[in-house]
Amino acid sequence: MHRFPGLIAALAGVVAACSPAGATALPTEAPTAARTTPVSLVVFAAASLRDAMEGAAASYSAALPGVTIQVSTDSSATLRTQIEQGAPADLFLSADTRNPQMLVDAGLTDGPSVSFAGNTLTIIVPIANPAGIRSPADLARAGVKLIAAGDEVPITKYTSDLIERLSASDGYPAGFAAAVAANVVSKEDNVKAIVTKIALEEGDVGIVYRSDALGRDDVTTIPIPGDLNVTATYAGVVVKRSANVAAAHAFLEWLLGPDGQAGLSTFGFRPPD
Amino acid sequence: MPALAGLLVLFLGLPVVALVVRAVGSGVLGQVAGTRAVVDALSLSLATTAVTIVLTVMLGTPLAYVLARRRFRAAALVEVAVDLPIVLPPSVAGLALLLVFGRQGWLGGSLDALGIQIAFTSVAVVLAQTFVAAPFYVRSARAGFMAVDRDLEDAARVDGAGEAQVIRFITIPLASAALAGGLVMTWARALGEFGATIMFAGSLGGATQTLPLVVYAEFGSGDLDAAVAAAVILALAAFAVLVAARGLGRRALTTG
Repeated sequence: MHRFPGLIAALAGVVAACSPAGATALPTEAPTAARTTPVSLVVFAAASLRDAMEGAAASYSAALPGVTIQVSTDSSATLRTQIEQGAPADLFLSADTRNPQMLVDAGLTDGPSVSFAGNTLTIIVPIANPAGIRSPADLARAGVKLIAAGDEVPITKYTSDLIERLSASDGYPAGFAAAVAANVVSKEDNVKAIVTKIALEEGDVGIVYRSDALGRDDVTTIPIPGDLNVTATYAGVVVKRSANVAAAHAFLEWLLGPDGQAGLSTFGFRPPD
Repeated sequence: MPALAGLLVLFLGLPVVALVVRAVGSGVLGQVAGTRAVVDALSLSLATTAVTIVLTVMLGTPLAYVLARRRFRAAALVEVAVDLPIVLPPSVAGLALLLVFGRQGWLGGSLDALGIQIAFTSVAVVLAQTFVAAPFYVRSARAGFMAVDRDLEDAARVDGAGEAQVIRFITIPLASAALAGGLVMTWARALGEFGATIMFAGSLGGATQTLPLVVYAEFGSGDLDAAVAAAVILALAAFAVLVAARGLGRRALTTG
């Protein structure tokens, strides 16, 4: 029964046979300038960019036949970790500037981090609004179930900035931030999961990006006064190991251009500051 | 007493019923089951579990035979190593696989230098599935080989059969129900693999996003209908596995 060389050869064969299934995602084409060779770009995008990126991918492919864009979305922090571990992404679009900068600092990118979009925050509640949330002040009311995100998820940083600003403004009691923190019942992996939990009435209130709530009929938004709101800056980087570096830069530039920005604005994003 | 017993049945059955009712009731099952994410995931799941099954049979059968027949000092250690993935949390398995095959891993670093990438590819999906699921086959096959009557093998030897012929014509046919039962369990576990896959292979549509990952990804992104559609496909597969396993169990009883 000791036929290990044969087994190892067979194993190698199976692994090789398996590879074509992943070949669509593996950047195997050389990054030649010729547009004749089809390019498949893998874009790792923040969860909040999901719908906007699917829209952008469709319009970009329509404008530039031969380029297909595959979007994988999750928390920016998770995606950054995956890229550090060698995930085959060509372009990383983050909901903050910190995670892309970490990749730049680690020498894993081709070029610097580029800000391409902005976003603001909004408060969402289920349609039935079981906790009777009327204003940001209600976030601190005892017994309100607040769905938040994990500490590494970018929205958490923006949310704590917002709570800090609210605490410092008129009409908000001392201990507001602590009371809000005490109401957190769940820390989700990414911001879209907060929206899902609120839509399902698993929580009373959540703080998400304005773009997440736009156009949804299963949650109600509670506005945040404009002067207290926080601006999120979205930045992208081209991954150095990508075999499609030129195509990835081209897509990032297109996102910054008039067509890309117009597409993003229909999903509730604003130009970067 | 019957009331208490009924309560548990209700508790175990109700969530699955709710899943099916929601899928049928929402009326979008067919439409959603046809979306790219679900179709891609279904074909990826079928392809990767097929490779996992082939790998498991090729590598698991010799191992199970050796464990069943040979007495050697490290046997207990090998058995623990083989059983460990069954009780190991899948997220731990995913992390451990990353530490071996990841870009900074023990083997991954050298493979990376050769231009071979394993983590976050379809190959990683297969490795994750094999890691968590192959032990089910090895356990079942080992028990099957141990249950084979050695006198029948000796009788074949007396009649002039070589060792390879004994294994091919006596041992494997007699253990076939146990082998098949083990394979069904391995396939079911591989099909449902989630934790190790998402950590070691990521969740990229068409490349590493299998059906269980679609359930999670669509739920996380607010598309409950697509999550339910993928979930129902998995529930049906699980049901089919149980039916098959019961049939094989009956065959094992009648032939064994």
